[in-house]
Formats: sequence, C-alpha cells, structure tokens
Amino acid sequence: MKQNRIPAGDLAPEGIYPPTEEMLDEPVPDEVRARQEDNLRAAWKTPQGWRYWTAVNNSEVGLWYTLTAFFFMLMAGVMALLMRLQLWAPENDLISADRFNQLFTMHGSAMMFLFAVPMFEAISILILPAFLGARDMPFPRLSAYGYWCFLIGGVFVIGSILFDAAPKAGWFMYPPLATKEQGIGSDIWLLGLSFIEVASIAAAVELIVGALKCRPPGMRVNVMPLYAWYVLVVGGMILFAFPPLIAGDFLFELERSFDWPFFDPTRGGDPMLWQHLFWIFGHPEVYIIFLPSIAIAAMVVPTVARRPILGYSWIVLSAVGTGFLSFGLWVHHMFTTGLPNISLGFFSAASEAVVIPTGIQLFAFVATLIAGRVVMTLPMLWIAGALAIFTAGGLTGVMVAIAPFDWQVHDTYFIVAHLHYTLFGGMIFPVIAGVYYFFPFFRKKMLSERLGRWAFWLIFTGFNICFLPMHLTGLLGMPRRVYTYPEGLGIDWLNQISTVGAFIIAAGFAVFAWDILRPKSGQPQIERNPWGGGTLEWSHEIPETKWGVRSIPYVTTRYPLWDQPKMVDRMDRGRYYLPDAEEGLRETIVTSVIDARPLQVQRVTGPAYITILAAGFTGGAFIFPTFHLYPPAIVCAAFAVVCICYWLWTSTARPPEADMKEAGLGLRLPTYAAGPQAVGWWAVWITMLGDATAFASLVFGVFFYWTSNAAFPPPGAEHASGTLVALATAAFAAAWLATRAARGLNRAGRVGAARAGLVAGPLLTAAGMAAIIFSVLDLDPTTHVYPAMMWALMVWLVAHASAGLIMQLYCLAGSLFGKLTPRYDADLWNVTLFWHFLGLTALVTGAMIGLVPRMM
Amino acid sequence: MAEPGRDDRQPTAHEDEREFAEERESLWRITLGPTIWAGHFLICYASVSVYCFRLERMFGMEGLRLALGALTLACLAAIGWIGWRAFRRWEVWGTGEFSNPVGNAEDRHQFLGHAGFLLALVSFIGVVFDALPLLLIGSCR
Repeated sequence: MKQNRIPAGDLAPEGIYPPTEEMLDEPVPDEVRARQEDNLRAAWKTPQGWRYWTAVNNSEVGLWYTLTAFFFMLMAGVMALLMRLQLWAPENDLISADRFNQLFTMHGSAMMFLFAVPMFEAISILILPAFLGARDMPFPRLSAYGYWCFLIGGVFVIGSILFDAAPKAGWFMYPPLATKEQGIGSDIWLLGLSFIEVASIAAAVELIVGALKCRPPGMRVNVMPLYAWYVLVVGGMILFAFPPLIAGDFLFELERSFDWPFFDPTRGGDPMLWQHLFWIFGHPEVYIIFLPSIAIAAMVVPTVARRPILGYSWIVLSAVGTGFLSFGLWVHHMFTTGLPNISLGFFSAASEAVVIPTGIQLFAFVATLIAGRVVMTLPMLWIAGALAIFTAGGLTGVMVAIAPFDWQVHDTYFIVAHLHYTLFGGMIFPVIAGVYYFFPFFRKKMLSERLGRWAFWLIFTGFNICFLPMHLTGLLGMPRRVYTYPEGLGIDWLNQISTVGAFIIAAGFAVFAWDILRPKSGQPQIERNPWGGGTLEWSHEIPETKWGVRSIPYVTTRYPLWDQPKMVDRMDRGRYYLPDAEEGLRETIVTSVIDARPLQVQRVTGPAYITILAAGFTGGAFIFPTFHLYPPAIVCAAFAVVCICYWLWTSTARPPEADMKEAGLGLRLPTYAAGPQAVGWWAVWITMLGDATAFASLVFGVFFYWTSNAAFPPPGAEHASGTLVALATAAFAAAWLATRAARGLNRAGRVGAARAGLVAGPLLTAAGMAAIIFSVLDLDPTTHVYPAMMWALMVWLVAHASAGLIMQLYCLAGSLFGKLTPRYDADLWNVTLFWHFLGLTALVTGAMIGLVPRMM
Repeated sequence: MAEPGRDDRQPTAHEDEREFAEERESLWRITLGPTIWAGHFLICYASVSVYCFRLERMFGMEGLRLALGALTLACLAAIGWIGWRAFRRWEVWGTGEFSNPVGNAEDRHQFLGHAGFLLALVSFIGVVFDALPLLLIGSCR
C-alpha cells in the first residue's frame, strides 16, 4: 500500500476512528454539557449592535447575500415591467429608445450577474455547511469579502440606471456597438461586473473546498447529499467559465480606456473574439444557474416522496455530464455569424447531446415521485411548476439548437420566450421552492401556506400568459430589443397579452415578497423538522443557536435523519466530535476528500472589519477607472493589498497554541496543516486553476487572431526584443526556483538559506518584470492588434508577478517575525504553489511574445 | 487479487481494505470519459477552424476528415475501455447491487465505478454526436 502523503514534519491523527456504538452511547454528564454549550455560545456569538455588520458567519453572510440578490431581482423585475408598458401599444412613446436600451441591458445583466449567479452562492453559503454538519465554511472571511464586493459592485452597476448612465448595448455587450458607445455605460458594465466576478470566484473556491474537505467524518462521496455534488460541479464550472469573460473584460476595457484595437477590424482586431469569449462564459453560465437550482429539487423531492432518491449515481452522472457538455455549446449563440457550417454542426450536435444528462435527472425526480408516497407540500408545488415550465423551455431549446431553425428565429421574441422558459423553470421556480422549503431552517419560522399558493398560481399563470404568446410574436417576426413596433403587423394583441401576464407575475412576486418580509414574531415555535426531511440540515436547533451543529456527527448514510435514528439526540448531547470550544476559538473538522476520514481541526476566522475595508478598497480600484480616475484607483488598489495582507497575517496559518487537540470520541487531531493537507493550499490551487483559464483565454486570443486574420502578425511588423524576453523568462524561472528552494530549505531547518532564497526571489522577480516591460516598450499598442496583444500579455504577467513578489516578501516577513517556521510553513507552501502557476505563465508568455510571432 | 482457477481460495488478511483503500481512488477518474469527449470536441473544432480559415484553398478536406475520423475511433475505443474498467469496478453482476448507498469502502468503490461507467456512456454518445458533422458535411460551406 502506498504511504500516506503527509509531508514530513506534519502530525497524523491519533486514537480511535471510526467510533463504536458503545462509545456513542456513553452518556454526557449534565454539567459537562452545560459548560461545553457555554463555551460554544461564546465562541460563535454574533456581534451585537452596529458591530453586527462585522459578522462573517455563514448564517449571517448567506442571509445578507440572499436578500441583496432578491432586492436586485425585484429592481430588474421593475425594469421588465417598464419595458412591457412601453410595448403595450404600437408606436408608444412612454419610454425613449435610449432609455429602453438601458432598461433591457440592465434587466438582463442584473438578472444574470446580480441575481441568478449570486443567488446560487448565497443559498449555498447559507445551507451547504448544514448539509455537511459543518460549523461553518472553511474561509468565512472570504465569504464576507465576496459579499461586500458583490454589494458594492451591484449597487454601483444597478444604480447607474437612476442617473441615465446605464450600459445600453445589451447584456452581452457586443462590440463594435459597445466599444464605440459614448458615455460611461459600457465601462460601468465591464468594471462593475468584473468586480462581481471576483466575488463569484471567491464563492466558488469556498464552496468547492467546503464540499470536498469539510464533510462530517464518515460521509464518503457515495453518501454525500446530492446538493454537495451539484455544488462541486458548479464550482468547477465557475472556474472554467468566468475566467474567459474576465479575460474578455480585460481586453475590452483596454480598448475602451487606451484605444488598443482588440475588437476593431480596421486595425486587425476582430469583434468575433469577444463573442467567443463571452459565450464560452455565457453558455456554461446558463447551467451554472440551472444546476444548483435543480439541486434544490434533488433535496425537496425525496422529502415529499418520503423515500430516498432513485438513481443517485444517475443524478451524479447528469450533474457531472452536464457540467462538461455545457462547455461545448457556446457557438449555438453564434449560429448566424457566418462560421463554417461544419463548425456549427459540432455545436449543434453537442447541444443535442446535453439533453441526455439534463433529461436523466428530470426522469430520476419523476421516478422518485412515482415510487414514493407524495405529499403535495408547497415546495413540491413549485417544483412541479418548475418541471412543467423547464420541459417546455427545453423543447424549444432542442428546436433552436438546430442551426437552420435558429437562423429563422435568431434575435426574435421566440428566443426571448425560450430563454425565459428555461430560466423560470430552471431557476426561479426551484429557487422559490427552496425558499419555502428551507425557510424554517434559516429563519426558524414558517411561510404562509395560503400566501404561497396565491403566489404560485399568480406567477405560474402570469408567466405563461406573458411568455407563451411570445413564441408566436417571434415567429411573426418581432425582433427582440426594439423599443417599439409599427401598427398592423399582427403582433399588437400578442404584446398586450404579454404585458398583462407580466403584471400578473409582478402581483405574484409582491405576494411572495410580502410573505418573506412580513413580521412573524407572533408565530408559535415551529417543529424542528417540519417537512420530515432526512438530511442533516434538519438537525438544526430550535430556538436558533449560532454554533451550527452542537457536535459534528459521524455519518454513514445518505439520509442520516431517517437511517441513523439516534443521531440527532447524540448530536444535541454533544456526543460526537468537537462538542466544546475550550480555547474560545471557532473550529470545524477537515476530512479527506474521498472517504471523509478526520484529518485536522480547522480554526476558522471570526468577525472582522478588515474584510469590509478590503472590499471597499477593492471596489475603489474597480470603480474609479470607470471615470478615468486612475491615481485614486491605484491608491485604492494599494490599500486593498495592505488590507488583505493584514487580514491574512493576523488570522490565517498562525502557529497554534498546541499541535494536537482532543476532537472527542478518543480522537486526537492536528490543529495545523501545511501543503496539500491544508484547506488554504486547496484554495490557492483552485483559484489558480481559474486564473490559468483566464490566461489560457488570452493565449487563445493570439491564435484566434492568427486563424481569423491572414495578416497576423502583419508583414514586416516590429517584434518584441528577443534578448529582453529571454532575460525576463530566465529571471522569472530563477525566481520560481528560488521560491521552491526556500520551501525545501525552510522545511529542512536551514532558515538562513531559506531567507536568502526569499530575498533573491523578489529581486529576480523585479528584474523579470522590468525586462518584460522594456521588451515591448518600442511597440505601439494603439496601431494594430498585434502589438496590443503583446502588451496585454505583458500587463497580465506583470500584474501576476507583482502579486508573486508581494507573496515572497510576505513569507520573508513571516520567517523574520516567527509566523513562518520550519514546522509551521503553510504560507510558504501556498506561495510556492502560486509560483508554480506563475512560473508556467512566465514561460508561456515568454514563448508567446518572443518566439511564436516570429514563427507565425 | 483473485487467482484464476481457484475458487476455494481464502481471502488474505486486509485484502478488502487494500482493494478499496482511499488512496487508490480518485475523483478525477470518473471525469476521464468526459475529458476525452472535451479533447475530441476541441480538436475537431480547432482543426476544422484552422483548415477553413487558412488552408482551404491549399488542399481538400478529405484528409482532415479521415484523420478526425481516425481520432474519433481512437477516442471511442478509449472511452469504451474506461467504461469497461468502470463497469468492472461497479461489480453489479457479482453483487447484484445497482445502487450503493452504504457508507463503507466497498460501496464507495462500486459507486465510483457506476458513476464512471455512466459518464463513459454519455461521453461515448457525445463523441458519436460530434462526429456526425464530419460524416454529413463535407466542406466548410
């Protein structure tokens, strides 16, 4: 058998695992129990008064996140109502064409970026730890930082509509319309949403590590809740889908701000590159929205059917399979752009293939419902509505996936109808089902059955009245995004019906919002498990406690509350793991990826201002450039870096007070981990995977220009200085080596030599940065896309190298001030991992700037 | 490991533990099939794009179609092999268990086999679908 891969110097768990029945039956004395509860209560206390906003616990951050996303959705909904009023009659002049453009752009952008994706993150942050019997997510402050970024960016983007300054080129911002757009609308879109994408990636990192490393002991991959599988898949998709858009935003903003002609055909650019990058993001995005919502259905269906889900493996197949196949669909948004028919064929075929896994999961739900004894609860009503509407949207999806059909209906109201059917059925309805289902979990109150049925029937009928006629409106030829239409095309009455439907939906949402927000203090205490669910979130305590779970259970079944009947009682009595917080610290258990063997007691961070400050300065760094105010932006960026360093320095990877700790049930676990054992290392790995994807998108850009443009690089073009590029590459490679060597030397106890490596590293990095900057300095990026692309690669590398340099200095400081020692070297492991990616980035950039263009 | 022809063989100590040990598993393995699909898809799309934009005037498409056809067969064979391996790991004929809901190492092992098998199946179909345009459309037009 292979030796375990715990790095030398790290401690392994000791003692008994798994626990025996006798151990679990041992009583806990009352006074011990009371003392433990006091300790836990103190450690997990929510800050009071105005300090409440410094909370980072998943229950608080998740709640703010959900409510903020819901508020943005209501605003975007109001925009839709204004558009429907404008379209009520032909030649209407209620809203000007310009205002209408802003409305539909903001409606789409807000619904996608400020509601649908954040809602997934919000709900997952709120409930994933509970599914896993974890106290919190592994990086609570990262969640909080992500939330504050989202709030600031969201208010900035959506607020622009109140100042008549909103983007107006449509939610996918096609150039040249969007690049030539006057005013700051496009910049608001690009910078504001890039900022929010940072929050999405932060959430993805948090959720992936949560699902892989924070499961309760014993919860192997074949028994984890399906929701966790979906979270894992969607987190992975975010890592590969958002970065191409970030790379696209990067190029786009360089064109807007500095006139580098990436999308300008007169100087060798190509607007098609934006379409590719946007839809490589945009199509998986649809599934990023759909999968977590359908995951809610996967949790509701077994509960209402009173039986385990049928076809667990099949649902895992469909989640993973959809995750992959959804990346092969992006060109089906571009069927009318004149790509070769055979290329369209590939995407058409993949678009049809994705129906297979998507269909399988719906059949698994239906089969579970048929095999069980269904109780038609309110959540189930919404799920039923979702299945009906989504199936209709899926069928029109199969139609538009066929290129010749798409040519007929492209950019018509048929598409508007199709996408709203998929999004209402695939996202809105399941999410509302989730709100009704989980409300007793997260607010410890019930929503009204009567109001819920009213809301359902209003939204369900209103939806069909509004969107069903749009199929016909589109087939009759009404293009989407027009602010008005002439009389006599036979679409007047269809538009009137749609407008009526829109207001019925709005009435439904008003009822729903009232139900959520109305005071419920008079409501008697609810049952602990009101729906009779079988998964761990229903072990929650009533009235509410802030510690998450009283003790972290040993889980061996898919529906522990059904199959392990003594579990809840044992959890309450503190019979399981980590029943205490003697040191007054917030803790949760980290387990292994496949079998969830306990590995470590992870100390998680508590309330802090620093995350709010860091988010505020990060916001400044993105928002000031919108107004071309670069000096304040740079100051903000510098302060953001300082805040983040302070936050990491004071609260992460600190040497613990003792190396091992009693975790309960005779198990002793290490309190510190470095390298692949540590959650922080996983977070760096996952983040850098996303970052590498963005870089790969830029490299793809170079080859894209080469295929689409016969004169790339233009004949006789000046190239970057080969010598300087070679020097830069060598310097970065040496810096990489120095960092890696420092890690080994430090671990071996040769602290002086390690520090020397961490001094040489930053110097080499700085030399590399200078050399790569000077290598392209003679090229003028505004003249042609070729020099612009070389500059973009240089900027990307220099930005990352700056981060790498700060990290090297951070480790040097850590070594000098005793935070980083041969025994406690997690920071150096993480920085080395970052440098592995940075080193490769530097090598590829060197090749792309110095070698490849000379061979093209 | 089973020795052929000896049904009366006694299991050695900790044999199951070793076979189902966590260190021998990887979540990545279930994504092998879809990864091959993704590679096949990208190669087909990229090579056809390069051909249609840069090389169409130089030579006909038959060579490219044949090469991609050969690639398709190789991918299908690889996915078939992965699927077969995963099917063996699922061990449905030996155990008669289609679903593996128990939280022990053996069920986890068989579950990963089942998931890998199903993913290989859907990847196989995906590759066949994506090869159809090569078969049905013979030019860039």
